[in-house]
Amino acid sequence: MATNYYSAPAPVARRVRGYFAPVNRAAQTPVIFDPAELGSFSLDAPPAPWISLGWIQGFTRKTESKTTSVLTGIPASSLEQVRETLGAQVSVEFLSWTKLTMALATGSQHMNVLAAASGATAAAVGATATAAVTVQSGSTATFVALASADAAKFSAGSIIALDADYTGQTGYVGSPVSGAYVRNALTDVDYIRRVTFNVALVSAVATTGTTGLTLAAALPNGAPAAGAKLQAVTGFVDREGGSFYQEWSALFVMEGSQGERIFFHYPRLQTVASAQEAALPLDSKQKTGLARVLLKGSFLALPVTDPLDGERVVCYRSFLPAAKALV
Amino acid sequence: MQNAKDSFYMALRTRLAPLNPERTLLLRGAVRPGILAEEAEAPFSQLPNDVFVLRWLSLGVDFDLGTTMAAAQCEVIYQTCGSQSFGGLDRGRALSAMDKELTAMMQPFWTPKLNYIATPPAQMLTNLFWDEPEFGPIVTQRDLLSRSVKVMVYSYQEQGE
Repeated sequence: MATNYYSAPAPVARRVRGYFAPVNRAAQTPVIFDPAELGSFSLDAPPAPWISLGWIQGFTRKTESKTTSVLTGIPASSLEQVRETLGAQVSVEFLSWTKLTMALATGSQHMNVLAAASGATAAAVGATATAAVTVQSGSTATFVALASADAAKFSAGSIIALDADYTGQTGYVGSPVSGAYVRNALTDVDYIRRVTFNVALVSAVATTGTTGLTLAAALPNGAPAAGAKLQAVTGFVDREGGSFYQEWSALFVMEGSQGERIFFHYPRLQTVASAQEAALPLDSKQKTGLARVLLKGSFLALPVTDPLDGERVVCYRSFLPAAKALV
Repeated sequence: MQNAKDSFYMALRTRLAPLNPERTLLLRGAVRPGILAEEAEAPFSQLPNDVFVLRWLSLGVDFDLGTTMAAAQCEVIYQTCGSQSFGGLDRGRALSAMDKELTAMMQPFWTPKLNYIATPPAQMLTNLFWDEPEFGPIVTQRDLLSRSVKVMVYSYQEQGE
C-alpha cells in the first residue's frame, strides 16, 4: 500500500506577513487570534478586525523573561527554576509607508495633517483646518454620502479623515482605534479627526444623483456613524516625545512551502521605540546609491492572563502542520 | 526530481495560457501555450522565437532532512525579433512583454507536485517551490533580443521517487 504521509523537514518560508488589530484601551481588551477557528484564513483577506500590513522583514523576537534557580543544600544546587520576570520585545521593518505602519513605528500619537483653512496660523502639526463637512445618511464603508456642495469640495485622489467632533472629553479618544489619550480638555474641535485612524483615499466624487465620495478602500471603522464629519488630509505627522503609547494586538504569520503555518500572536504590543527609519540600498553593490527607506518598529509585549488556566503570558506561538505531514 | 520538473513546467504552462492566450506555438501538430521543455522535444538547431524554453541545469541534494530535498536550477530562455508588422522595431517591447509574463507566471512561488506518468496525473503529498527568478542581461544579436532567467526549484523526494 502506498504511504499517504511523509516526514516534513523544517518549514521553508519566504517572508513574514503582519496583521494588527486595535486593542480596546478603555476596556483593556485585546483582540484574540484563535488558531482553531481562524488558522486557515486567506492571508490576503484577514478576518475582521485584523488589518493586513503586507509583507514585513527583519522580524525579530527577543525574550526578556528571566529565570532563576532556587538553590538548596551545601554545596548549593538547583532545586527548581522560577520565572523572575516576564517580557518580550519584537522588532520589524515595514516595507510600506501607510497611516498604520507609520503609527506602529512611532512611539506616540500619530496625527493626520488636516488641510489648512485659508490664512490660518502655522503650526507644526498642521494649522487650523478647513471646516469639516457632515456625513449624510446612506453612507457605507466605501461610500460617504455628502450634500452636493460638500462633495464638490473634494476630488478624486483626496485623502479624508472621518470621525466625530471633539467635545471636550478626556481619556482615550478615537474608536475603535484609540488614537490618543487626552489628559486635559482641549479646544480643537477637530482633534479626534487629527488622531483618527479612520482615513481613506477618495477614488471618485459624485455631485449629482447620489452625491458623495466613493473610496478606494473601505474605512477601517466601517460605515460612518451618525453625526460623523470629515475633512481633507494632506499628510501625516508624528512627534518625538509625548506620553501616549500605541497599543495593538499583533499576529505574524510564516507560511511554509508545504502549506504549513506558524503564527506568533501577541495580544498586547506597545511601541517601545521612537520613530526610526532604516535605509536599504536597492543595489547591494552601490551602498551610497538609491536606498529604500523602511520604517522600523520595535514593540514591547505586555502580558495577558490566559482564561484557560490563569497563567500570565505575552505571546502564543501556534503551528498548523502541512497536510499529511508526520507530527 | 522528474515529477518536480514536470510539475514546474505544467504550472508555468497553465499560468501562461490565461496571461497571454495569443502566445502559442505549433509543435508536433498541436497548438500549445508558448512554453516548452527543451529536453522533452526534438533537438533545435536554433531556439524558437517568442516562446519560453525551459532548460534544466545543475542539481543539488540535501540528505540531512527528514525527507530528502532536491534543488534543481532551471534556466528559462526567450528571444524575439519583434513583429513583422512593425518591421521588428517593437522587439524591445516584445521582450518586455515576455519579462512581464514570466514574472507573473512565477507567482505564487509554489505548485502541487503531480505524477504525470499516471493518467490522469496523480497529486502527490508535497509541493514544489522556488526562489525569486534571477534575470540576466538582454543579449543582442543583430535584430534578435534574448534573455536568460535562472530560478532554483526545490522539491522533497517522496517514497518511490
